[in-house]
Amino acid sequence: MKQSLATRLTLYASVILTCAILIFPIYWLIVTALSQPDQLRQLPPKFWPEEPRWSVFGKILEERPILLWLSNSALAAMGAVTISMVVSVLAGYSLSRFRVRGGDSLGLFILTAKMLPATLLVIPLFGIFRMTGLIGSMWSIILAHATLIIPFTTWMLKGYFDTIPRELEQAAMVDGCSPLGALFRVILPVSAPGLAATALYGFVLSWSDYAYARTFLTNAQGNWTANLGITTMKGEYISNWADISAAAILVALPILAIYLFLERYLVGGLTAGSEK
Amino acid sequence: MAGGRFSLDLARPSRQHWLGYILLAPAVLLIAAIIVYPLFVSVDLSFQNVGIARLDQPRRPFTTANYERLFGSPDFWNACWVTLKLILIVTTACCLLGLGTALLVNNRFKGRSLARLLVAMPWAVPEVIAVVIFAWIFDSSFGLMNWIFLSLGFIDKTINWFSDPTAAFAVVATTMIWKGYPFVSIMCLAGLQSIPEDYYAAARVDGANALQRLIYITLPNLRPVLGVTTVLVMLWIFRDFSIIYVLTGGGPLKATQTLSIMTYEQAFSFFRMGYASAVGVVTLVICVIAAKLMMRRAPDTL
Repeated sequence: MKQSLATRLTLYASVILTCAILIFPIYWLIVTALSQPDQLRQLPPKFWPEEPRWSVFGKILEERPILLWLSNSALAAMGAVTISMVVSVLAGYSLSRFRVRGGDSLGLFILTAKMLPATLLVIPLFGIFRMTGLIGSMWSIILAHATLIIPFTTWMLKGYFDTIPRELEQAAMVDGCSPLGALFRVILPVSAPGLAATALYGFVLSWSDYAYARTFLTNAQGNWTANLGITTMKGEYISNWADISAAAILVALPILAIYLFLERYLVGGLTAGSEK
Repeated sequence: MAGGRFSLDLARPSRQHWLGYILLAPAVLLIAAIIVYPLFVSVDLSFQNVGIARLDQPRRPFTTANYERLFGSPDFWNACWVTLKLILIVTTACCLLGLGTALLVNNRFKGRSLARLLVAMPWAVPEVIAVVIFAWIFDSSFGLMNWIFLSLGFIDKTINWFSDPTAAFAVVATTMIWKGYPFVSIMCLAGLQSIPEDYYAAARVDGANALQRLIYITLPNLRPVLGVTTVLVMLWIFRDFSIIYVLTGGGPLKATQTLSIMTYEQAFSFFRMGYASAVGVVTLVICVIAAKLMMRRAPDTL
């Protein structure tokens, strides 16, 4: 289909305008971080700082334990994703391939669990972690994030395994593979993109959590996650938006990088659960 | 579930069955320990007069006082109303914006993959960071929004966004729309790509114009995806804690206090965990109903 020049120009103009408006808040965050703090208190605002203050990132890394927060977030996410993936791969495979008594009700339960508000589970988990002495430890946050991730990963992986033809295992088993061997030697290697998508999605879920970190880790400064650290800055530092913005960029960067470079996988994971 | 039958054909049936249960066991045990058991604790707490949950102490006497207090409390009905308002406004806006952007970047043009990446980028911004961005844009003294509104002549003096109930609600809704629409956009785009090109070719042969193609082909074919997505967005708003809590804390004057925020505030600011659990259980019931509705509505797509 050939498009007329006018149609094409309108299309380009609307795409550029739409993207510009929707991305503007992210651009503004960057501009704010790079501006001199006193410049932010002048009107009209400058849409690009005269002298971009690139040193702000070094300064904020020195002043605030942002690297510690980031590594805590990474640790929590990796712990929660590892636990979740191990149990979900096995469970997803079982739900996809075997006829298990109660399998359907388990599926329905998992679907419901995906929708549970964190504010509902946070109260009993607080009680349980208090009793077991886990409040303030990384384990509290790893287990709490696993409650967020497991329902998603199990559901996604079941859906993913459903798309893999059964003939593959059939062939492997004819060749003398045990059922478990077929899973590890044939199905899992074939599912690598699905596994990656699922794990990435779990990582994003964990990285984005605030409710659990706020509840379990507030009094354990050494274990603060990035999101928790940022909100404490927002509370105390209300006037210095340049510094908060610089810290916010550093915290958002890992997920933005995953999104920009691995968008295909991430979006695959996002849509896999709800589409055939 | 045809696979069950297949696997029975191939190997010893008893072992196959056993394996199914064994593979499932770790997940079931873990889910039982960190999701099901806490849910029971939550229900149990909601029927006790508890301040701070202490599970190592004997449980308090059974009482329905929390629920009686809850349904008689204007705060609870206010939270329901705020939640409903937020769900209606944000869901509508997210769906329109998400669908619009998906249709736009589904066109064929140079740089389309870049445009797709950019248009859904807010999805990858953590909620807490989105709050930082919008808290600054809506800052009362030097925020960009006041300056824009002043320059355009919409207002004569700056709005104090976080102390005026209506304005604070608008800020929360704006932030949630910005954070929520990319999900709709991503889902719609995936849905659009699964519509066979033949449909459009046939419609063009029949002389359908762009608007007719949208109304008679695109939207009907997108309906299942859009339906599920809408429910997921609604549930996200229903559950959301971090955006509202960090942005406004539920204030001013409880104008942005949803059921989630109310649950958390009662539990961890006022230490009334029994009462908070009762609010939580009510939200649980709403979630279960929503899950059932969704299963019935789209049994194949979920």
